[in-house]
Amino acid sequence: MKRFSQLAIPYIIWAVLMLVLPMGLIALYSFMEQGNSIIPFSFTLEHYITFFTDPDFLLILWRSLVIAVKTTIICLLLGYPIAYYIARSREKVQNILILCVTLPMWINMLVRTYAWIGLLSEGGIIQRLLGLIGLGDVELLYTEGSVLLGMVYNFLPFMILQIQTSLSKMDHSLLEASADLGASPVQTFRRVTLPLSLPGVINGITLVFLPAVSSFFIPKLLGGGQYFLIGNMIENQFITVGEWNFGSAISMIMAVIMMLLMMAVRKIEIHNQGGKGAEE
Amino acid sequence: MREKKRPFGKLLMILAIAFFYLPIVYMVVFSFNEGKSLTSFTGFSLRWYQHMMESGDMMEALYTTFSVAVLATFVSTVVGTITAIGLSKSRKIIRNIMEQVNNLPMMNPEIVTAIGLMLLFITFRVEKGYMTMLLAHIAFCIPYVILSVMPKIRSLDPNLADAAMDLGATPWRALTKVIVPQITPGIVSGALIAFTMSVDDFIISYFVTGRGVKNLSIVVYTMSKRVNPSINAVSTLVVVIITIILVLINVVPLITAKRGTKETIGKRRGLVPVVTVCMAVVVLVISLNLRGAGGGDRPYEGQTLHIYNWGEYTGENIIGDFEEETGATVVMENFDSNEQMYIKVANGESYDLLVPSDYMIQRLIEEDLLQKLDKSKLDCMDKLSDAVKGLPYDPNNDYSVPYFWGTVGIVYDKTKVDIEDLEREGYNIFLDEKYKGDVYLYDSERDSFMMALKALGYSMNTEDEGELQEAYQWLVQCVETMDTEIVTDEIIDNMAQGRKALGLIYSGDATYVMAENEDMGYYMPETGTNLWSDAMVIPKNAENPELAHAFINFASDYDGAYDNSSYVGYTSANQEVMDVLSGEGGDYEGINAYIPRTDNENDEVFVYNATTKQIISDLWSRVKIAASNAN
Repeated sequence: MKRFSQLAIPYIIWAVLMLVLPMGLIALYSFMEQGNSIIPFSFTLEHYITFFTDPDFLLILWRSLVIAVKTTIICLLLGYPIAYYIARSREKVQNILILCVTLPMWINMLVRTYAWIGLLSEGGIIQRLLGLIGLGDVELLYTEGSVLLGMVYNFLPFMILQIQTSLSKMDHSLLEASADLGASPVQTFRRVTLPLSLPGVINGITLVFLPAVSSFFIPKLLGGGQYFLIGNMIENQFITVGEWNFGSAISMIMAVIMMLLMMAVRKIEIHNQGGKGAEE
Repeated sequence: MREKKRPFGKLLMILAIAFFYLPIVYMVVFSFNEGKSLTSFTGFSLRWYQHMMESGDMMEALYTTFSVAVLATFVSTVVGTITAIGLSKSRKIIRNIMEQVNNLPMMNPEIVTAIGLMLLFITFRVEKGYMTMLLAHIAFCIPYVILSVMPKIRSLDPNLADAAMDLGATPWRALTKVIVPQITPGIVSGALIAFTMSVDDFIISYFVTGRGVKNLSIVVYTMSKRVNPSINAVSTLVVVIITIILVLINVVPLITAKRGTKETIGKRRGLVPVVTVCMAVVVLVISLNLRGAGGGDRPYEGQTLHIYNWGEYTGENIIGDFEEETGATVVMENFDSNEQMYIKVANGESYDLLVPSDYMIQRLIEEDLLQKLDKSKLDCMDKLSDAVKGLPYDPNNDYSVPYFWGTVGIVYDKTKVDIEDLEREGYNIFLDEKYKGDVYLYDSERDSFMMALKALGYSMNTEDEGELQEAYQWLVQCVETMDTEIVTDEIIDNMAQGRKALGLIYSGDATYVMAENEDMGYYMPETGTNLWSDAMVIPKNAENPELAHAFINFASDYDGAYDNSSYVGYTSANQEVMDVLSGEGGDYEGINAYIPRTDNENDEVFVYNATTKQIISDLWSRVKIAASNAN
């Protein structure tokens, strides 16, 4: 049986080359002085200092985090009841509903985001509908609202599917037991359903928050050229400015922040499971 | 209890589904729109489908998307499954480390993974293109396969394989006949995730591709700046393909299950049609993609010309005609700024022909990135306007043949803007709060600073840092007080539809706007403007300079130049074409933007200066950030 373990060796080599080395290169570039070639290497912290001493850059980072948090909260508030509804439906209906939620995800994200441009633009269908209730002058496209909408639209299915998975794994006799013991539906939800669905919620938060922070095509398509998030800043450094070292530094900063946040989220999860164990 | 009606949940569910499908339905409907508008449906037509079929770019992208997805899915499923089996038998420490490594692409922001891979390919001088895209897709797909196969293996009885081998099975047989069938559901779902991720990918593909290889996402991203309903048509096609695949995946196992076959076998059977369908789609797309073979004696039969040009900068027919005449295949990649083009070229990507602007040509010459043209192969120089020949950046046209030329100016809505304001204020109208919320700036560092410097009465080629700082302040004031939108090509359709009153624009785009909407005017302030020209050049590392020369002749000749200029709206460098288009009965008769101003002594041509460039580039990033933070 042990000989099967050798099967993993080719991939380990591949993973070092294609997954680990690239991260190392980003780190290397970020500590390097100007120039897009790694030889000769000269160490500097200049790019990090530039980033952290500039209030404009920090503001961009802050705004990216804020909009990602907003997206995540909206997705959670919308996604949970929807996932709950799906999980409590009959099995056949459940499968169809899940297919309905997944199908759009199969269609290219950019294409779906692009479609919103037509829907939201001036004279578009949504503005005309708003006009009927006297809100015709509201500008929809190229605002923070449209960027937020684009993000919720793209990432909500991740949230729904994660929560739904953990809800449907739940043993329904638990709910009945809780009701039999005299708990009100609200109590049952708070004390039984919610804690049991928490792993799904946490996975969902991760899957929404992560792409939302770093997204650059949603702000570019729906926010216009003057809407700049950290992802756009990185793209800009690599594609038009050409300062890869500074771009790498921003990428590193973002990667580290994400890593810390994810670790914090994981902590909550572990802590929560530990708590549950103690109760039992 | 389960049957209890839940009106709130139901309502939310319906709304959610409406939300998810609204844009998709909208897109499908508008793919049949007769007009170009994305907001009003004017009638049924299939013209965008026809346009899509004729557009080599889109069909190529469709082919790339699906062929990369199928290959990446296949490789990552096989490798992922084998690895998962191997890892399950490895020591715990290796397993844990690999789990962390596998998490990298999932736990990192996608753009970070993308940049890492891009740096990897560049550092090791792997030429970016189809292969690098495929490798990158495999790299981010395998972890998902492992992740979905792993739990299935864990739930297996560890003694199964041993038992099989005790009974005389070879390890290979034990693997394929015992283990794999048990974990098939995990493999199938892993393959599905891999396929979805690959088809959907944009960010990683965008950073690791090269040489004009584009998938659908990249095409949408680069085309989305101008209204192009063909995007809707190609998207509809994708919706149809995906729906068919999904229905097959979901329905086929149901049918086979009904026939009473055992569950595992049913699931394996389900896989066969899926793979078949995927292959069929690819074959279909390839066959659609094959161009009609022409006569055998064309001069460049079977050769390829790699062009790196501005987006929307060629006529409708010129590429097809050139391919027809020469037998060559043209692969075109687009950029939206000189800087973007420069980065790729300076990093060693190889193209046969570029179309940069004046100051960038000067830079490329200075940095020894261009080759001298072989004038014995060029028969077009006499046909070009004298005003665009022998300019300071290339005094003898040793390196460059002009393509388009023009000025930069202000496009304005005559019904909203008082011409006297324009004449009095010039560029300072962009600080006039009367027009607050009604202005577009153009996302070009050079031209934005040109505007600011000219508004302040300085030369646009100033090297004085104080003057540049003043210009920066001018721009910051503009974005902070005027509620501006910074756009690129979106300005063309938006101004054509009269969405804003004012905008900084290239003369050629203004020509198009004015031809579409007669309320629009074009004004060049007396304080001067940028007299620019874009020209065709051949980089040092071109693989087929011979063919590039042939294209230069073709594009400069009357027919090619006419097609380019009449379709795009920019002023042709070909004198005759310019005269015909601006003359009586020409497409652009009476449109002042089409004829570049040559008699104002304040007008200048950009000069390249590395230090100034760096300062401007830096400051412009800051202006954009200020604009973003002002909103």
